[in-house]
Amino acid sequence: MTAVSSTAGGGAGPQNVFMDQFNLEARTQRVWDINHAIWFTLMGVGGGVFLAGRILNLTEGLGYVLGIPTVDVVSFLAIAVGGAILVADLGRPLQAWRAFVNVRTSWISWGAWSDLIFLVMAGLLVLPALSLGGSEPFSGLGWDPHGGDGGGLALEIIAGVAAVVVMTYAGAVLARPRAIPYWNSPAVPLQFLLSSAAMSVAVVMLIEVIAGEPVTAGQMVLLGLLTAALTVAVVVHLLARTDAPGKKESLDRLLRGQYRSMFVWGVFASGTVAPAVLAFAGAVVGVSGARDALAVICCVLLVPGGFWLRLLTLRVGIFPPVHIPSVSGPRMAAP
Amino acid sequence: MTRWGMVIDAARCVGCQACTVACKTENQSPLDAWYAPVIEWEEGEFPDATLNYLPVLCNHCEDAPCVTACPSGALTRRDDGIVMANEDVCIGSRACMTACPYGALHFFEDRGTVAVEGAPAEAVPSVPERYAHQRHVRGAVSKCTYCAHKIDFGLENGLEVGVHPLATPACVVTCPAECRIFGDLDDPDSNVSQYLAGHGGGEVLRPDAKTLPSTQYVGLP
Repeated sequence: MTAVSSTAGGGAGPQNVFMDQFNLEARTQRVWDINHAIWFTLMGVGGGVFLAGRILNLTEGLGYVLGIPTVDVVSFLAIAVGGAILVADLGRPLQAWRAFVNVRTSWISWGAWSDLIFLVMAGLLVLPALSLGGSEPFSGLGWDPHGGDGGGLALEIIAGVAAVVVMTYAGAVLARPRAIPYWNSPAVPLQFLLSSAAMSVAVVMLIEVIAGEPVTAGQMVLLGLLTAALTVAVVVHLLARTDAPGKKESLDRLLRGQYRSMFVWGVFASGTVAPAVLAFAGAVVGVSGARDALAVICCVLLVPGGFWLRLLTLRVGIFPPVHIPSVSGPRMAAP
Repeated sequence: MTRWGMVIDAARCVGCQACTVACKTENQSPLDAWYAPVIEWEEGEFPDATLNYLPVLCNHCEDAPCVTACPSGALTRRDDGIVMANEDVCIGSRACMTACPYGALHFFEDRGTVAVEGAPAEAVPSVPERYAHQRHVRGAVSKCTYCAHKIDFGLENGLEVGVHPLATPACVVTCPAECRIFGDLDDPDSNVSQYLAGHGGGEVLRPDAKTLPSTQYVGLP
């Protein structure tokens, strides 16, 4: 074979999306884009902030909204807004409830359930603390909103497990099918999980700074480790199966094509490497104010970086050609 | 057990796109949805250039990733192997479209549920469901069904599937080069099985996807 070229609807310039089907070319997926990137990001931050607040023991003392810790309010808002964007993006939003049906195989169904379970359980957990007009109408509920007794702890654990699924499932949705080689890798959900965790820790530290509390060296070390792990996950994903049809085109677009600047500077440099360096620097710096400033900078870099990571992952989702001429696949056994 | 399948002899395809149009006519698919396109591409350079054709459609995979990914259960695989899309149940998440290696699922843009163009059911009062397949739901995903309505009609009326025109997918019926053959892959005496046996077995598209397609090929370029 010396050359292969399309004769129908291909070529340079804007392509007719509908004519893609008539071309023997790699096809870029166009069905999921910025709305999904926003949704993925908000879900990651929402689930992560709930967990990070508890792991760092920062749910209390960073301010309250209607009696509920600010950290939890941020978490609920992120997941509620992310879920609303998801529903609005459906082709048939009024049928959204059907997303809960296929839990046997669909990661989206798992995600829908985990979102719901998280909102219900975490909402119930903090409900006794809700303060409206000076009164606490739900204070009679029989559990500690801080997870200090059996009931509260059970709600907290269930909500925490759901939060982990919320942080992870978007990556799993992309990674499970083999159709798009760039997505079909455990590195994708791993990146999403690590990115969510890093963004969440940074957001909690931002809330901490706003509340006038000092960021600790231990928190900066944790952030540094998460962003360093994220950097490794991104690099490993870039280096794996580089010649696979479809993935090669994705990497071309990411590293040499139209998304090069956005990926190299927006995701890799300022979204992973720089925050890792700054976080470790913040851990060793002796001045509390300087550490707080570095934490804020990390947050400002990490959240957009996490968004760009998700958006570019979606945009370089490329299907290889359905058939590669002159390359025979395995022959099916004759009946 | 019956497993409906199609064999496409790509070497016989002349690229007339009659199958593409026959499918469009039979299923009244949404404006931008082509369930059975014919891919064409040039190969080589003058004077040794050739024009190749590759008819494609839903592969009705045994391990269908679209069915796995669908959160609402709108996509199902029947016992006879045909993968169906229930547009009334579809929520328009489009997860199936990102999961399918073949680009065989089609999103009907715009919002709201409407019955669209197609022969009105009352036109054939004795078989009111005859044209149900031509009703499409905006905001939902639709796909090739191997003309399951024709297969079911044939089975109900004692017609031989894959042979009688009323019991055979429209693309198969219309192909002037007879490059499409439809029948039961699990029956060793069926037309598809015999054709595959005569050609040493079939090949599939995107074998890396490991979806076990019921649409198989011989004579691939």
